[in-house]
Amino acid sequence: MSPRRATSGGLIDRSRSIRFSFDGQEFTGHPGDTLASALLANGVTLLGRSFKCHRPRGLLAAGVDEPNALVTILRGEAREPNIQGTMLEIYDGLKVVSQNRFPSLGLDVGAINQLGGKVLGAGFYYKTFMGPVIGPLKGTRFWMFSEHFIRRAAGLGKAGTAADPSRYERMNAFCDLLVVGSGPAGLMAAKAAGEIGKRIILAEQDARFGGSANWSDETIDGQPASDWAAATVRELARMPNVRVLPRTSVWGYYDGNTIAALERVTDHKPSPRRGEPRQRHWTIRAGTVVLATGAFERPLVFPGNDRPGVMLANAAERYAAEYGVMPGEKIAVLTNNDGAYRSALALREAGCQVVAIIDVRAEISETARAIAVRTGAEILTGRAVTATEGGKKLHCIKVQAFDAATGQISGDPRSIDVDCLLMSGGWSPVINLASQAGAKAEWNERLQAFLPPKDTDGWVGAGGFNGTFSLDAALSEGFAAGGGTDTGLLPATSSDDLDIAPAPVFEIAAKGKAFVDFQHDVTSDDVRLAHREGFQSVEHLKRYTTLGMATDQGKTSNVPGLAIMANALGKQIPEVGTTRFRPPFAPVTIGALAAERYGEIRPERLTPMHDWHVENGATLYSAGLWHRPMIFGLPGETVEQAYVREARTTREAAGIADVSTLGKIAVQGPDAADFLDRIYTNMFSTLPVGKARYGLMLREDGLVLDDGTTWRLAEHDFLMTTTTANAGKVMQHLEYLLDVIWPELKVTLTSVTDQWAGASIAGPKSRDILAACVTGTKVDNETLPFMGIVHGEIDRAPVMICRLSFSGELAYEVYSGAGHGTHVWQALTAAGKPFGLVPYGLEALGTMRIEKGHVTGAEIDGRVTARDLHLDWMLSKKKPFVGSMMMDREGLVAPDRLQLVGILSRDNIPLNGGAHIVEELDRDNPHGSIGHLTAACYSPTLGQYIGLALVKAGKSRHGQRAFISDPLRKRFGPVEIVSHHFYDPEGKRMHG
Amino acid sequence: MIITCPFCGPRDSSEFVYREEGGRTRPDPSSTDQAAWNAYIYERVNTAGDHEETWQHSGGCRSHLRVLRNTVTHKILDVTLARETGKVEKPA
Amino acid sequence: MVDQLSPLAPVLRPGRYARDDHSVGVTLAEVQPGSIVQLAAWPGQQAGILAAIREVMGLFVPGGAGSGVATETKSAFGFAPGKFLVADQEEGLFGYFANAVGPDAGTVTDLSHGRTVIRIAGPKAEWVLAKFFAVDFSKPALAVGSGISTVHHDIFALIQRTGVDQFDVYVFRSFARSFWNALCHASEEVGYEVE
Repeated sequence: MSPRRATSGGLIDRSRSIRFSFDGQEFTGHPGDTLASALLANGVTLLGRSFKCHRPRGLLAAGVDEPNALVTILRGEAREPNIQGTMLEIYDGLKVVSQNRFPSLGLDVGAINQLGGKVLGAGFYYKTFMGPVIGPLKGTRFWMFSEHFIRRAAGLGKAGTAADPSRYERMNAFCDLLVVGSGPAGLMAAKAAGEIGKRIILAEQDARFGGSANWSDETIDGQPASDWAAATVRELARMPNVRVLPRTSVWGYYDGNTIAALERVTDHKPSPRRGEPRQRHWTIRAGTVVLATGAFERPLVFPGNDRPGVMLANAAERYAAEYGVMPGEKIAVLTNNDGAYRSALALREAGCQVVAIIDVRAEISETARAIAVRTGAEILTGRAVTATEGGKKLHCIKVQAFDAATGQISGDPRSIDVDCLLMSGGWSPVINLASQAGAKAEWNERLQAFLPPKDTDGWVGAGGFNGTFSLDAALSEGFAAGGGTDTGLLPATSSDDLDIAPAPVFEIAAKGKAFVDFQHDVTSDDVRLAHREGFQSVEHLKRYTTLGMATDQGKTSNVPGLAIMANALGKQIPEVGTTRFRPPFAPVTIGALAAERYGEIRPERLTPMHDWHVENGATLYSAGLWHRPMIFGLPGETVEQAYVREARTTREAAGIADVSTLGKIAVQGPDAADFLDRIYTNMFSTLPVGKARYGLMLREDGLVLDDGTTWRLAEHDFLMTTTTANAGKVMQHLEYLLDVIWPELKVTLTSVTDQWAGASIAGPKSRDILAACVTGTKVDNETLPFMGIVHGEIDRAPVMICRLSFSGELAYEVYSGAGHGTHVWQALTAAGKPFGLVPYGLEALGTMRIEKGHVTGAEIDGRVTARDLHLDWMLSKKKPFVGSMMMDREGLVAPDRLQLVGILSRDNIPLNGGAHIVEELDRDNPHGSIGHLTAACYSPTLGQYIGLALVKAGKSRHGQRAFISDPLRKRFGPVEIVSHHFYDPEGKRMHG
Repeated sequence: MIITCPFCGPRDSSEFVYREEGGRTRPDPSSTDQAAWNAYIYERVNTAGDHEETWQHSGGCRSHLRVLRNTVTHKILDVTLARETGKVEKPA
Repeated sequence: MVDQLSPLAPVLRPGRYARDDHSVGVTLAEVQPGSIVQLAAWPGQQAGILAAIREVMGLFVPGGAGSGVATETKSAFGFAPGKFLVADQEEGLFGYFANAVGPDAGTVTDLSHGRTVIRIAGPKAEWVLAKFFAVDFSKPALAVGSGISTVHHDIFALIQRTGVDQFDVYVFRSFARSFWNALCHASEEVGYEVE
């Protein structure tokens, strides 16, 4: 048996042992242990080093409020830092290391920071590194020099670099009632609601349901409270309308009773079962939330209160009663309230020797005194601990007379040898979730605590959360919160009548470092220093001193910090107010938030011909969610060689490209033509059935939104195409206009992007290829003129063919049902083989459109007008359209606007999109941009590097020399500004 | 946040997109009143308090909704289908 | 006529993918309707559309928000104001509706190639779907036959409850493979079988 394990008692299973390691040393514990309880049972009291000062630290708490015992778990290559040892269940093979120490926990060179004293006081970083530069030692330059060393010395655990192989999932849930916390109040609420058939979720952050029932010596319904809790949970778990979630921290309370919770599904197992996630992130939409989150005990602030061996009284009670662990052999208690007497008794019953109970109050209740007598301890009222001694472990405390009203210390210190000191500074209800929900906390003078305001229509409180500390009252509040009405159903209890209302003592001000926030090494002197430096607001105090930040979020430090601040300001605590708690209540793994949004199961869109592309050597490229072929490279080809070959072959013979990703919207109904006239700059009502037209859309503010062709398939039936990237945006724009502005128009919009597979077949041989495989229609110039549409079949599959061109060649878009896409594509490539048809990807497509001077999303960047792109000819003067009234505003027609031009590289070196264009080259001090390149390529037709650009007054600069200035990529050199029509400006080829 | 779509019922805010401040009137399409167009496109009331908004249930039935929401408390007071509110302008 | 090639073809591998204890909680399958058609009624014309559904398919759709009906081979449900999705194992539904619904009543849009239908059935179907969609799938909230419109990230989905423990999920074809893979991944926890 371990040295500190009691021979009996506790809810652990002594019949089985679990082996784990801490800092490389092997230990054993039992099922039911946390890392903290198991280490304590093994006599390990030093668990970490503090954040700034590297002071040795042991356990302060036993649950989610633990600020000190943060450890790193090693799982294979992955490491997870900053896990609270008090929340970590041990399992066989668990490997844990301590943090923030170098080279080892026992011998830490960083501990020299302790000697610095005031050096690392409040605002140290601001003062040292953000001040003006005076000499070499101040300001941001000094910060940049020092950062590396400071980051290494300070801080919490080190994050790993290996990928986390764990599986995370997210889950949505709905319920009438979410009960947060499974102490007696929470269990009673769930039981009451469950029995009347409500849909319930009961969430408990610990592994074991029951909360205080697990360590109190009270009875409920004639049985020990922990047995009652276990039986009640078993009963709840059997109800079909109840879901019980152990190991589930409710960490966020958002608008509309949307609750975020993290379930640690397999963190307590050596390995998960197949398909089981490590953690599951729950988003719960609850009708009502029952907040039965209990209360946290507060530490007292006195010199040396952070020495390993000094812990919260209730934490020690929990270790003894719930885990059967004795936190020390010789124990003293320091308290300002009666609650700690109960803790002292629990330790006595576990086998510890309680040496002294030191109470800052002069008088104590009879009940408390009676309990004290049973512990066998010496009762020292009107006294306080003013110092502690010991290195990595407490061995002695100094006790002096103390006046609770004035805070005066008097008399000579008396030394008492102890190895464990329990402290209790009163209780703070865990109102964090209610505070997140917007509740403003109210100061309660009797309990010296912030209590939640009255219940809202979103949540109901019960038990310790309300500041209700008696078992009977907690059960009764829980019962009511769950909708129970017949109070005769409430179980009988046995309980002592201790009143935990404390004396208003938060600090014992004596010489030495007295810690308020243990996690951030914030002392009472730091709080007073902040006050002397002019910080008045509690929100500023928090940020300046770091009190209550990071993983701890002020669970133990909030109220003592406020009390000391109030005292310094000469105000009452309620006048100072409290900070609003923010999510998360407890740390959340990033992996759980990302879940399936990350990695191989992230959504992606594939075209109907995707598998053909992969099988035929395409290099894929992700464009938004779409995966599209970039090139169909031959063995040994570079990307540039591949696209140049593809583009050249297309211009000389024929090429085929997958254009299925183009946005396609069915615009149907008797008012469809009218609607298109309103949203396009040009006319569509005049478009005959069986023809397509290029259209341009503006935003309401007159700037260009998108372009594309729209096909009239029947009188009331149009097929609109949009650019791939803008498909969603255009759909929303049109839906808004129809739904909100013109609801009287009879038009239906449907996304049919996925209904159609599209193959663009381009090049002088394209017509011959179609003629060879299309049946049911002719494809000659007469039957299928430029912008004409025909219906036919290819290898028995119905197709719709529109003659239109993006490449500038004679070209067609062949549309078939998506499920026939690969079939039709294969028939086209087979028919094209004798004509030298090649598949081409996005790079060749881009090259040909740059040569042709066609615009895409790179140019339509939300800042350009139709005139900037030389599309004035598309602006109808016969009708109003969206944007027509705004497009002629002064700034949008100014002659020096950025306009679309072509760019020729004059040094025969490739150009890059994004590069600036300047009139004078200055490599050392690049300046004077007159525009930028939007796209660039090698043009096989022109035999040189070309690009498109938006250049100030570009139209008037044709023929001028300028320079590329691209300092990031170190590309500088001469270029010529030319017309954007590099190739076949008259369009003879596509009309041929 | 939960928005109760009149068609789909209560749904998570992640299914919706905010589109526009509500209760605004688009000038008649043939209007040449530049000031009216400027006001329609650029001016917003941005009320602190009860505020009329246009949302789209983009991840659901895709209807546009007129949402009356308190921008201070985030409480949603009323939701109706935009095309049924009759608050929108009818072009001449 | 040429058969449609399923976007799931390379990834749909029939078999049992059970849990370590050999149990399976859901069955996954692709339903391949011959026809999927969208019907949209102009305001005040919904009755005409419902009549057309009755006439063409013999299905009675009550017409309330999201209401619908499903048989072994046919289904119909509302997914937006005035809008219905109908599907049939037979091809040719679009042609029938194009004749039955005139321009005064509403519009008919063929989506037979554009949507992929994935069926998830079994005692854990609600649990697995809840991993993807922020929607209450419990029976009181979603009755048999009823449908909903929702979204998982960028994946729009229309979901019809076609049985007590059975749901048909209509997704855009381009997302189907991605969604299928994610669904299999999410089903591993409860064990699954692919038909």
